[in-house]
Amino acid sequence: MRRYETIYILRPGLGENEITTIIENTNQLIKDVDGSIISFQKWGMKKLAYLIKKESQGFYVYCDYTATPEVVAEMERKFRIDDAVLKYLTVKLADSITAEQIVAAADEAEAKLAAKALEDEESDSDDSDDEEE
Amino acid sequence: MAPRTQKKLFTRKKVCRFCVDKDLTIDYKDVKTLRNFVSERGKIIPRRIVGTCATHQRQLCEAIKRARQIALLPYSGNTQG
Repeated sequence: MRRYETIYILRPGLGENEITTIIENTNQLIKDVDGSIISFQKWGMKKLAYLIKKESQGFYVYCDYTATPEVVAEMERKFRIDDAVLKYLTVKLADSITAEQIVAAADEAEAKLAAKALEDEESDSDDSDDEEE
Repeated sequence: MAPRTQKKLFTRKKVCRFCVDKDLTIDYKDVKTLRNFVSERGKIIPRRIVGTCATHQRQLCEAIKRARQIALLPYSGNTQG
């Protein structure tokens, strides 16, 4: 098993259901070969740095997982066919990964996410303090 | 000889930001940091100006190019901000 991370951008005009089906289909591919999802995040609507297929916004989805090269090839083939996916990028993070490393990486990703949320909250509260003074 | 000594007065030793601050990591998803290393037009700023070391400049270059692929950074210009 190799560790990969994939970011894909979905068309902004999609409904909630369409987004979920695409995400589920993609995640199912990983589960089919007993790969595990280490971290999965919906970054949500973001402004694109340049137009892609005449769209100026996109729905970003980020996934960190373990899988085989065949899964990635299949995933990218589907992305190319699917009109709803504007763009995708897959990066290989590690050539091999053990079960313990998967758990450790998942914990790390969660901790990072929590730390980021806390940071955002703190900066928000800081702003309000300034206003009171 | 006079202009040479004067030039020396104004040059400051640049240090690599990534070597100084070990917590600072190069990640293509971290647009905020990468923004510091591209010009307003979106071009990668050369090493002789920002002062990063060769190793980090290489990693930085790759990160910026990846960020461009997934539309986090522009290839050129700042048409979309």
